[in-house]
Amino acid sequence: MNRITSSNHLNSGLKNTAKGLFIFTSIWVASVALLTFGPKVWWEYHALTTLLVIALNLLTGAMMLFAFFRHLKSMDELQRQTHLEAMALTLGITMIFTVVYGSLPTAQLLADTHPTNILFVMGITYMLAVMRIWISRTSE
Amino acid sequence: MKNRLKVLRAEHDWTQADLAAQLNVTRQTVNAIEKGKYDPSLPLAFKIAGVFQMPIDHIFFPKDGA
Repeated sequence: MNRITSSNHLNSGLKNTAKGLFIFTSIWVASVALLTFGPKVWWEYHALTTLLVIALNLLTGAMMLFAFFRHLKSMDELQRQTHLEAMALTLGITMIFTVVYGSLPTAQLLADTHPTNILFVMGITYMLAVMRIWISRTSE
Repeated sequence: MKNRLKVLRAEHDWTQADLAAQLNVTRQTVNAIEKGKYDPSLPLAFKIAGVFQMPIDHIFFPKDGA
């Protein structure tokens, strides 16, 4: 009976921190949307309002980061190592991609670059790396 | 690093899930340790030794047998 409680403890901890991460990520995404569309649509480029929204965006970003670290800490050690290795791989690939992507306009292969595209590369690389490392370690 | 985790677990008639629950890790972590795909941290290795009530070097040993 004690064993089942222990297992549930790990799972419920993970669920709680994942829920927290989802909530804070959603709030951060909402604040990004506010910062992107707000100046034009809602407050007609009023500088002070924009500065306040930037401060809000940074604050929610920091809260999301704390939620992510809480989630990382609630994992068991193999899960945590998998995520850390995936992050290392993501950092390297993003760095290489950023250099190449940034040089494309200079080489006249692209009219201009959008920094948000780098986020897509980061997200996809991280997701694939977690799956690949986890499967290689845990396949039966 | 090699280990006798699978043998010890079988001796106690525990499933991987049983052992994982006692160690507060996932079943996949126990499986990865048993298959030698993952070396546990020192705290987890001591926890495993505690569960089986034997010295750590009776469970884990180097691959070359040194």
